[in-house]
Amino acid sequence: MNMGRLMRWIPLMLVVVMAVSVASRMRGPAVDADGVDWNAVGSLAVSAEGRTKPLDTFARSALLRMSGRQSLPARGEQPSMTAVQWVMELMAAGDAETQKRAISREVFRIDHPDLRALFGLPESDVHGRRTRYALSELMARLPEMANQVDMAKAVPAKQQDMFQRQVLGLNDRVMLYLAIAQWEAPLAVAPLASGQEWRPLVMTAGPMVGGDASTKAWHSMLESLSAGDGATLTRVAREYGETLRGALPGAARASSNEVVFNRAAPFVNAAAVYVFAAVLALLGLLVTTVSGKSDSAWGGVLRRSGLWMVGLAFLVQTIGLVARVVLQGRPPVTNLYSSAVFIGWACVPLAFMVERMVRVGIGTIVASVIGFSTLIVAHNLGASGDTMEAMQAVLDSNFWLATHVVVVTIGYSATFLAGFLAMAYILLGVFTPALRGDLKKTLPKGIYGVVCFATVMSFFGTVLGGIWADQSWGRFWGWDPKENGAALIVLINLIILHARWGGMIKERGIAVLAVFGNIVTAWSWFGTNMLGVGLHSYGFISSAVFWIVAFDLSMVAVMLVAAVPVRHWRSFREGVLESRVGGAVATA
Amino acid sequence: MTQISTEADVGSRVSTEEHARARGRFIVMAALHALASLRLTVALLAMSMVLILAGTLAQMHDGVWTVVHEYFRSTHTWIRLRLFVPDSWGVSDRVAILFPGGLTIGVLLFVNLVAAHAVRFKLSAKRVGIIVTHLGVILLLAGEFVTGAFADEGNMSIDEGKSSNFVEDIRTAELAVIDKTDPTSDIVIAIPMAQLHEGATIRHPMLGFEIHVDSWMANSTLAAVTGGMDGDPRLSMGPTADMGIGRNVRARGVARATGVDGSTVDVPSAYVTLMDGDRRLGTMMVSVHLEPEQSFGVGGKSYAMALRFKRTYKPYTLELIDFKHDLYVGTNRPKNFSSLVRLIDPEHHVNREVMIRMNEPLRYRGDTLYQASFKSDNSGTVLQVVRNPGWLLPYVSCGLVVSGMLFHFGYRSWSKRRGGAVRRGDGMEGTR
Repeated sequence: MNMGRLMRWIPLMLVVVMAVSVASRMRGPAVDADGVDWNAVGSLAVSAEGRTKPLDTFARSALLRMSGRQSLPARGEQPSMTAVQWVMELMAAGDAETQKRAISREVFRIDHPDLRALFGLPESDVHGRRTRYALSELMARLPEMANQVDMAKAVPAKQQDMFQRQVLGLNDRVMLYLAIAQWEAPLAVAPLASGQEWRPLVMTAGPMVGGDASTKAWHSMLESLSAGDGATLTRVAREYGETLRGALPGAARASSNEVVFNRAAPFVNAAAVYVFAAVLALLGLLVTTVSGKSDSAWGGVLRRSGLWMVGLAFLVQTIGLVARVVLQGRPPVTNLYSSAVFIGWACVPLAFMVERMVRVGIGTIVASVIGFSTLIVAHNLGASGDTMEAMQAVLDSNFWLATHVVVVTIGYSATFLAGFLAMAYILLGVFTPALRGDLKKTLPKGIYGVVCFATVMSFFGTVLGGIWADQSWGRFWGWDPKENGAALIVLINLIILHARWGGMIKERGIAVLAVFGNIVTAWSWFGTNMLGVGLHSYGFISSAVFWIVAFDLSMVAVMLVAAVPVRHWRSFREGVLESRVGGAVATA
Repeated sequence: MTQISTEADVGSRVSTEEHARARGRFIVMAALHALASLRLTVALLAMSMVLILAGTLAQMHDGVWTVVHEYFRSTHTWIRLRLFVPDSWGVSDRVAILFPGGLTIGVLLFVNLVAAHAVRFKLSAKRVGIIVTHLGVILLLAGEFVTGAFADEGNMSIDEGKSSNFVEDIRTAELAVIDKTDPTSDIVIAIPMAQLHEGATIRHPMLGFEIHVDSWMANSTLAAVTGGMDGDPRLSMGPTADMGIGRNVRARGVARATGVDGSTVDVPSAYVTLMDGDRRLGTMMVSVHLEPEQSFGVGGKSYAMALRFKRTYKPYTLELIDFKHDLYVGTNRPKNFSSLVRLIDPEHHVNREVMIRMNEPLRYRGDTLYQASFKSDNSGTVLQVVRNPGWLLPYVSCGLVVSGMLFHFGYRSWSKRRGGAVRRGDGMEGTR
C-alpha cells in the first residue's frame, strides 16, 4: 500500500482509537457479584448542602472530603469499594459485627505529624506507608481531640497555627462521618407529599413517625444490605426510584443524569487525552527540528495527530462543561473549581488560531499543557467537596455569572495563553534551533494577538464586575482584593501594548512581560483568595501556597533565561550569520 | 516642531519680544511632548501595579476604608516592606518607601493621556479606535473621581411594620439634642462629630445650657453596673455619670475596628457634663449603642439627648412590609434576602409596593437602595442607600473602551488581511 496515503490516515485512526477507549472507560458494570444494582442505589435523589443530588454525588464528595479520593482502594484483605457502597455500609451498620466492619474502613486522611501523634497513629504497617486511618483507630482519643478543638476555636481564625487548623479540619470531617452514621446527613427522606421538606432519616425513623414511603424504602434497603440480601436491595432501590420519578420528576431525572456524569468523569478523561496530544505534538516538533526540514513527512503526521488529539480532548471537555451547565442550570463558571476547568477550555480555540499562524505544533503543545494543568488544578480544588454547590445569595444571578464571570475568566485564559506561548518562544529560542524561519516572526505575532485579545476581555470583564457590584451593593469599585487582582491583569496587558507601541520592547521584551503576566494572573486567580483565609479551605490553601510559589519561581526562572543576550540564543546563532550573508532571514 | 525652528531662523528680523514668545512656545511644546511620552505611560501603569498590590496586601492589616484613603485616594503614601514578607520575619513598620498615591498617579495618567492626544491627534480610520478607547478611559478615571468627591452612602434600617425616612452614616456620629417643650413639634440640634473632642465646650443659641465633653470614645463597649464595683475592674475606673442611663451602664473605650476582624463599624460613646452658667446640672453618658433618647429638663423646658449615627433625611419614606431571609434547605447558607417595602412620596404622588432584593436595587430620586443586611432576629432590614451622581459613567466608559478596542484591533487585522499592511510609524504604531 502507498506509504504516503497510509500516513494521511494515521491522525484520524489514532483519534478514533482514543475516542473508543475513552467511551469504554465511561461505561461501568451494571450489577455487582452480590446482585446489587449500585447504579440504581446511587441514582436515588437526596438533599445535602442545599441542593438535591444523587446519593452517588453525596457519597463521592463526602469521601473526597475525608480521604481525598472518590473511592476506597483495596488494602490488604479489604476489597475496593465505591463511594456509594461505603456510604450505604456506614448507614446500614446496625449490630456490633457490621458496625465493627464499617468503622474499620480507612477513610480519614491524616498527614500532619502532630495530629498523628495526638492519636498515636502508626506511620506504616505491613502494607506500607499509611496516610489514611479508620474511625476505630481514632475513637479512643476523640475526647482529647474535642479539647483541642475547643482550644483552637478560642483563637481567631487568622491567628490559628497549622496544628489548630488541622485539628479543626479533622473535626469537621469526623462530624460529617458521624452525621452519616447517625442518619443526620444526607437529607434522605424525600418530600413525597406537598408541603414537606427534605428531612434526615433520623427524624422520621422513630416508631411514632416512620410511615411514609420514602422512610420505608430506606429502612428496607439498609436492612437488606446488612442482611446481605442484594436482590431485595436492588428491587427496593428500583421501586423507590420509580416512586421518586413519579413524585419529583425533575429532581429524579437530574439525579440519574448526574450519576452518568459522575461515572463518565469527562474531565479526568480529557486530561488523559491532553497528555497524549502534548506528547504527539512535541514529537512532531522534535522530528521537524532535527530533520531540519519544515515539511518533514513524519513531523507533519505527528503534528496533525497532536492537533486532532487536542480536538478530541476539547470535545470531551466541552461535553463535560455542557453537562455541568445543564445539570446545574447555571453558566459554566460558578466557583474556583469550574473556573479552572473553564480557563483551560477557553484556551484551546485561541491556541488553535495561533497554531494556524505558526504551523509547527507550538499552539497544540501549549493548548494541551494548559488544558492538562488546569484540569489537574481543578481536580485538586474539587477535593473540598461538591463542585456543584448551591450559590451564595449575592452570586445568585445567572445574568452576571454568564457575562462578568465568563468574560473575565476568558481574560485569564488569554493572559495565560500569551504567557505560555511566550515561554515557548523563550525556551525554544534559547535552547533549541527550532525558532527560525517563519516561526521567528509568526510566534511573536501570535503572542501579540493573544495579548490584544486578553486586554479587551480582561478590561471588559473587570468593568462588568464593577457594574455588577454597582447593581448589587452600590459601589462600582471597592478596591477589594479580587477587584484589584483583575485590575492588575488589565494593567500588565496594557503595559505590554503601550511599551510595544512606544518601541520600548520588541519580541523578547513582549515575551518576558507576557511570562510575568502568568505570575499576575496566578495571583489574581488564587493569591487573592488566600488573603482572607476561608474556614473550609485550609488543607487546600496551605498546599496551594506551595504550588503557587513554585509556579511563580519557575516563571521568574524563564524570565531570567530570556535575559541571555539574543546573539547567544541557540536559534539565532546561525540566524545572525544568515542575515549577514543574505540580508534577510532565510528559511532553511 | 519644524514650525518653531522656522520662526527661530527668522529670529534676527523679529523683535526680542516675539522671540521670547517663540521660545515660550517651544518650551511648552517640549514639555507637552515629555508629558505625552509613552515611556511615562508605561512607568505610570507599572507604578499603579505596585500601588494596587501594596493596597491589596495592606488590607490584611487595615480596614478597606483606611486603605482606600491612604493608598488610592492620596497624593502620596508610604509602602511598608512588611506587607510583602511573612509576619514572622518581624520587619519593622519603619522600613518603607515613599510612593505616589492613587490620586497622583491617576492625575498624571490623565495628563499623559490628554497630552498624548493633543500632540499626536490625527483623525483617521486607524486612530478612531484608540481615540474612542481613551475617551472611555478618561470617563472611567473621571467616574472614580466623581465617586470619591460626591458619592454619599448611608444605611437605612427599618423594622417590620415600621417606616423610616432617613439614612445613617455609620462612619460619622452626631450628638442630637432635642427640644421637646412644644408638644406639636420637636426642635433638633445636631452637633457634628468633629466638635465632640475631649475638653470641648458646645454652646448653641437655642440651648439653655452648655455641653462640656468630658471624654470621647471613638469605639466603645457598654457594661451594666451591677450592685457594687466588684465585677469588671475597668468599670471601677474612669468617668461616671450621675444623670440618665449612665448611672446603671458604663461605657469604656475599645480599639478601633480594622475591618479584618469582622466588626467594621466603630460605635462611639461619650461622657458629657451639662452646665447652666456656672451651675453643674449633671453628667450623662451618651452612646450610639443606646437606642432610646435620654430625657431631662432644664429651666422649665424638656429636652432629650442621644448620640447617634449622623442622619440625613430623605424626601421619601419607606415602610417595611415584610423581610425574607431564605436559606437553602438543611443548611445555613443564605439563598436570598428580600425586603417588601411601601415607597411613599406625597410630593410626587407616589405610594406603591416595591421589592428590593440581592442584585435588584430600587433606584428612586437619584438614590439607589440595596438590600445590604438585616437585624439579627430577621425582624427588620438594613438597606444601603447610595447617592452617586457619577454612577452612569462606568457604564458609558465600558461601552466606549470595549467598542474602541474591538474596532482598533479588528480594523488592524482586517486591513492586514486585505493585503494593505498597516503603515508603521504613525504616532503610537511605533515598532513591530
